[in-house]
Amino acid sequence: MSQVEPHIARREPARVMTLRRLGSFHQCRLSFMRVLTRRMANEAWSFSRPEFEFDENGVGRAVYTATGPLRSYSLVAFAHDLPDELRSDRVIAEAWDATFALFDGVPKQDDIDRLSRNVPFQEAGRVTEAELSLSRANRSVRLWSHVVDSLAEGRQPDQEMIDDVGYLMRTTAVYGSGKFGAADREVIADRPEMHPPFQAEMLSVYLTRAFVRDLVQHMARAKGGARSVVLDRDIARRLGIGNSTGLGMAPYIVNHPVLFNNWIMAREEAISRIRSLASATSQEVSIFLDLLARSEASVARWTTEHPIQIAKLSDLRRDLKGLRGFISGGGLDGPNPWDRLFVWSEKALSEEGQELVASLIMEPYGEMVDGLADCMADSYSAAFRIDGSMPVEEVRQLIETSFGWALNMKWDDPQNCARAWYVSEEKLEPRLGERFEEPIADYEQPLAPARDAAAAFEALKTWIDDSPIAEFLLKHPEHRHTVRRAQISRNAPYGEIRDNTIGAGVMPIDMLRAKLSFFGATHFDPRSDRWVRICMYGGAPYPDELTPENADFWIYPEPAE
Amino acid sequence: MTLSLNEIESTAKKAARGGGYPWGLAEEAASATRWLHSNDLDGCAALASLLDRVDGQEIASWSPNPCNNVWSVEGMLCPIAAGAAISDRAQEIAESEIWLGPIAQPILLAPFAAHVAQTLKKTITVRYDDTEASTDGEKIRLSGVCPKASSWAWIGINGSVDQPNRKRHRARPDAAAWNALVTYAHRTYAPATEESRLRGAGAGLSDND
Repeated sequence: MSQVEPHIARREPARVMTLRRLGSFHQCRLSFMRVLTRRMANEAWSFSRPEFEFDENGVGRAVYTATGPLRSYSLVAFAHDLPDELRSDRVIAEAWDATFALFDGVPKQDDIDRLSRNVPFQEAGRVTEAELSLSRANRSVRLWSHVVDSLAEGRQPDQEMIDDVGYLMRTTAVYGSGKFGAADREVIADRPEMHPPFQAEMLSVYLTRAFVRDLVQHMARAKGGARSVVLDRDIARRLGIGNSTGLGMAPYIVNHPVLFNNWIMAREEAISRIRSLASATSQEVSIFLDLLARSEASVARWTTEHPIQIAKLSDLRRDLKGLRGFISGGGLDGPNPWDRLFVWSEKALSEEGQELVASLIMEPYGEMVDGLADCMADSYSAAFRIDGSMPVEEVRQLIETSFGWALNMKWDDPQNCARAWYVSEEKLEPRLGERFEEPIADYEQPLAPARDAAAAFEALKTWIDDSPIAEFLLKHPEHRHTVRRAQISRNAPYGEIRDNTIGAGVMPIDMLRAKLSFFGATHFDPRSDRWVRICMYGGAPYPDELTPENADFWIYPEPAE
Repeated sequence: MTLSLNEIESTAKKAARGGGYPWGLAEEAASATRWLHSNDLDGCAALASLLDRVDGQEIASWSPNPCNNVWSVEGMLCPIAAGAAISDRAQEIAESEIWLGPIAQPILLAPFAAHVAQTLKKTITVRYDDTEASTDGEKIRLSGVCPKASSWAWIGINGSVDQPNRKRHRARPDAAAWNALVTYAHRTYAPATEESRLRGAGAGLSDND
């Protein structure tokens, strides 16, 4: 493999940062789940289950400990007997089938007792600096009963049903970074194993999956006794952890422009490095072709009832056929194979297909790509400070660079500002409402950077080019957040979404998908325009199976025989 | 019970917004409150007291009008608006100290002095009454008290951060002040309605299978 200085530039932010494209992103080598499983395997982490106490109704608690070279982390799990009518994935739910905390270290009995008085209540309880995350999960009722009943009766569950649902439990929130009393991100950010984003949360979900397998087995044994059988390893492998994600993630990517930029920039840098390769070895091509076949298998299993995703999936399936045709026609032969494929995909494929190609071409090149995971955290706290000496003209130019497309829009046209993001007093659930139909405008969150940029740009028009922006800010404190973002964009060119986030046609699920793709989620299944179900860790080796050989490509299923 | 600094910052931001500040200044208030707690000072108490004072008034009447190095107003300066203006003018402080007043909750100027210290890579001191607060941007050395208001404050390059306050990862704000901030923050939440519950989060297909 030749290490070259990339001569093909990263894609322009204006091309990448549209909601359509962000809403077509796929997982890649830099996805946070894969970063975690690679590290745990390469560092030979060990796993144990020091506690597992459940009654025949599945009520009880368990502890799962993961130990790396420097530290241990433990998932403390509580399972409950939840009446069906209380089961809801919404933030406004108040009870769950299972609740969890990720403990920093190995908990003592006192810690577990303390957590047992708090974790089951989630937002209504408190955790401490000793905890890194707080989360909960609900069962897939139909698959859970099917698997318990089948195993109890001495047979394996139906493979088709397993594939249809994909998980036994789905998490409905995983809170980290200081929420509800947990340790702040800063407490763990300097640890190598926690430096890439969301590693604590991803570890929590990884251990949750092991817990769920053990619990379903326990229930089957409790029900079937000696007749019961052990869940087949291959079937268990295919099961992931589901996740229901609502509107909370959309504000997150708008409110963390540096962090979001770092994710996108790392991926774009990886793409440009691979596109710049003059040639590919036959081994590299063969890894690509193998994973392309496995992507086809993954897409074949991807189901959804949402009309927009149905159409996008149909495009993607057509794209995959086109891609096959391009390759069998010799598309990868000759010089600059990845760039030629990439350029072809931009003309021939939908955005779903283009982004799948972008993710796939990185796969043979771990050495060139994986180190970028360490650039994906936000450790640039100085970005918050406004440089008041910057001339007005420079701020105008920065605004134009990110939001030139938005400056001539009629922002008072109801179509362009039909929606408003707000937080409900009901358990502080983030929501999106109709500005002209509901009394919510007074509660609007600052999640329309494009509209706000246009307003600031208008106010700046009458100011002298070389006057310092500090003077403007003193007269116009209402534009301070926009000026801050404009200055941040100097170093974070991918920090701003280049689309209207409050228009009548905005699809919040595009924002959710962008974030979830970086987690490593697959099988996006929008359940409305505002929330989406996904699968995490489907196909991943369980803790007792994890090796450097299977730690990376598990996300691609083996094609059906 | 201790709070995470993230909890302090997010509640302070919503509280400042609820207390009438535009978002950009609410962000400054939140960052300042967090910074004080990270230096073992009760930023929540300072912010809650400030919000009680400015609540319902135009921020503009509390803002400085800097034309030279003396920023005075008829009424009272807001330390968030004044602090942000000081932070924005960090380079000017390299050349000249600033006098300002009267000012509410002058301890809230310290986090903005920290911005200046980071920009200039110098130790910056804020003086008011018998109090002196020096910061290198990260740490603070404080001698004296935190009055509710002061007739004048001085800020300039000066001082040292020997024997600074302890750095903290957790916060223990005064309970009444914290509750006051939570109450201000609540003003940013839309009232629960049945329509909002059904539509706002996109009920769509069943979330239960």
